[in-house]
Amino acid sequence: MPCGEYFTSYGSRMGLFRWRTQRIALVLGLPIPFLAPLAVQGGLLSTITQIYIFAIAVLGLNVILGYAGEIVLAQGAFMAIGAYATSQILADGLFGVQIGLLPAIMVGGVFAAFVAIMFGIPSFRVKGFYIAISTLALQFISEWFFNNGQLEWIHGGTQQTIPFEVGLVGQWFTITGTDMELYFISLVLMLLFALISLNLSRSGMGKVFRAIHDNDLAAGVLGINVFRNKLLAFAIGGFMIGVSGGLFGYYIGFISPDYFTLDLTLQHYVMLLFGGLGRVWGALLGVGIVTIIQEFLRGFLQSVAANATSLEPVFFGVIIIVVLAVEPKGVLAALGQLKDYLRKWPFAY
Amino acid sequence: MVDASTFLSISIAGIGLGALYALVAMGFSLIYKVTGVLNFAQGQLALLGAYGVVIFATPAVLGLNLPAVVAVLLTIVVGLLLGIILERVVFRHFIGEPVLSVIIVTLALGGIISGFLRFLVGPNFMSYPDALKPGWSIDLPLGASIGASFTLGVVLSLVVVVSLMLFFRYTVTGSILRAAAADEQAAMVLGVSIERTIIIAWALSIAITSIGGILLAMASGGAGFTIEAVGIIIFAAVVFGGLDSIPGAFLGALVVGLLQEYGSFYATGVIGPGAGEIIPMVFLLVVILIKPRGLFGTERIERI
Repeated sequence: MPCGEYFTSYGSRMGLFRWRTQRIALVLGLPIPFLAPLAVQGGLLSTITQIYIFAIAVLGLNVILGYAGEIVLAQGAFMAIGAYATSQILADGLFGVQIGLLPAIMVGGVFAAFVAIMFGIPSFRVKGFYIAISTLALQFISEWFFNNGQLEWIHGGTQQTIPFEVGLVGQWFTITGTDMELYFISLVLMLLFALISLNLSRSGMGKVFRAIHDNDLAAGVLGINVFRNKLLAFAIGGFMIGVSGGLFGYYIGFISPDYFTLDLTLQHYVMLLFGGLGRVWGALLGVGIVTIIQEFLRGFLQSVAANATSLEPVFFGVIIIVVLAVEPKGVLAALGQLKDYLRKWPFAY
Repeated sequence: MVDASTFLSISIAGIGLGALYALVAMGFSLIYKVTGVLNFAQGQLALLGAYGVVIFATPAVLGLNLPAVVAVLLTIVVGLLLGIILERVVFRHFIGEPVLSVIIVTLALGGIISGFLRFLVGPNFMSYPDALKPGWSIDLPLGASIGASFTLGVVLSLVVVVSLMLFFRYTVTGSILRAAAADEQAAMVLGVSIERTIIIAWALSIAITSIGGILLAMASGGAGFTIEAVGIIIFAAVVFGGLDSIPGAFLGALVVGLLQEYGSFYATGVIGPGAGEIIPMVFLLVVILIKPRGLFGTERIERI
C-alpha cells in the first residue's frame, strides 16, 4: 500500500480501484482499447479481437477453476455448444423469432451452462480427479457428437457457416461483421465479463467459492451448501465459456468441430496458469501474452518448415510445465514480487 | 440379429481388445498406486510405444531398418529409460503439489509427446513391417476365432497382471513399493529410498504401456493417431476397477473392451459411427455417479 493512503471503511478497503495510482491508471488506460482501432488495422486488430474472445472463455474457466477449484477439462466442449447453439439460433430463430446476435450468444451461453451443470452433478459425491475425467469424457463425447452426421437433427450439421450480416438485437442495429464491429462487440463483452468476475470475487458468492476451493469439508461444516455452490460455479463459468464460444463462431464465420478440441482446453489452461490462477488480471494478462507468443511462434515455425507447426503443442507443454514448476501462481505473482523488490530498492527490507 | 455365433465372436474380440486396454490401464494404476500421480498422458505414451516400432523398424523416419523383434525390444527399453528421465526431469518437482498441477503437467506432457510425434512421423497412418503383422489365428467353437495380436494381448496382459501381483506380494522391491504407497514418510524413516522406488514404478509403468501401445498398433496393422484415444477410454476401466487396484484395472479393461465391441456392433446403426468409443464414456459417467470408488478401490477417508 502506498504511503499516506489509508482505508477508513470496509467499502474503500474492498473497492475495485482503491488507490490514487489505480484511479489515474484507470482514467489513462481505459480509453486505450477504445482508441486502439485508430492505430492498428487488419491482422493485428483481428488478433486483439481473438484475445478478447478467448479472455471471456478463460475468465469462465477462472470462475470454475480459480474460484471454486474444480478441474474442468471441457473448454472445447462448452465453446462448441455455445457456438453451435448460436449458429442454430441465428439460422432458425428461437421458436421462429429472429432474436439477433447478442441474445443468440447469450442463449448459447445458457445452453453451455446447462450442460456444465449436468456434468457437475458428480461433484455431489466426488471431486478433483473424478470431475476432471467426467468433463474429459464430455469433451470426448462432444467431439463425437458434433462430428456425427447422423445426429444432424440436433446440432444442425457438422460444419456450419454463420452469416456476417445480422441484427445485434432482433432485426435492429444490423452489422456486417467488419473488423471494427467485431472488435468493439468483443471488447465490450470482455469488459463486462471481467467486471462481473471482479465483482464476483469480492462478493459473498466468490468468498463461498474460495472457501470450497480451500477446504470443502471445512466449508460444509460451516454450513455452506457445497454441492449447490459448486453447481453455481459450473453454471456461471459454463455460461461465460459458452458466450465466448458463440462469439468465436461469429468471429470465424464458420464452425467445425476441429476448432473445439482438447488442444483448445490445454491452450486455455496455459493462458490461465501462465497469467495467474484465480485472478482476473492474471487471466487477461495470460491470454494476451500467450496469444501474442502463439502468433509469433506460428509465423516462425511456418518459416522454418511446413510441418513444423505441429511442434506448437510441444512449446505450450513446455511453458506450462516450467510455469507450474517455477512459479505456480503465474506471471502476475512474479510481477508482484518484482514490484515489492523495486519499491524497497536499494534496501534489503 | 442376435445369433450365438456372432455374439461369441464379438465377445471374443471384446475380450481381446480389453486385454490390450488392460496393459495400458495397468500402467496407469501402477503409477497411481505408488506415486499418486494421475497420468493423463497414458494414451500418448501408448502412442509413443506404437510409433517407436515404426521409428526403429521402418526406414521411413530415421533411416533405420532393424529387425522387428529388435525394434520391439528397443521400444520397450526406450519406455523404461523414458520413465526414468520423466521422473528425474519432470515429476520429481511435483511431489506433494496439488492434484491440479499434476493433472495439468501430465496433460501437457501428452501434448508434447503427440506434437513431437506429429512432427517426426507426420499425421498419417504408418504400416508395421510384415514380421509384426501375424496372420495366424486360433479357431474357437461356434465358428469364432481370435486374431494373433489379440491372443498375444490376452496372454501378455495375463502374464503382466499375475506377475505384478506376485511382484507386489512376494518380492522385497514390491513390498517397498507398497510401503511407499501406503505411507511415504514412514517408509523413508525405515530407510527406504523413495526416489528409487518411484523411478522403478515409472519405468515399469511406461514399459507396460509401451507394450500395450505396440499390441494395439499390431491389432490394426500399423500405428495411427487414433491410438491416442485409449488414454481416455482406460479411465472408464480404471475407475470401474478402482483407481489403485491392478487386478481391478485388468477386469475393468476387459469390461470396457466388451462394451466397446458390443457398442460398435449393435449401437452404430442407432446412434451413428463411433458408438463403440462413446459407450465406454457413458459407462464411465455412470460409474462416477453411482460407485466412484469402483470395484476394488480403497475408500479415502478425509478429515478436516
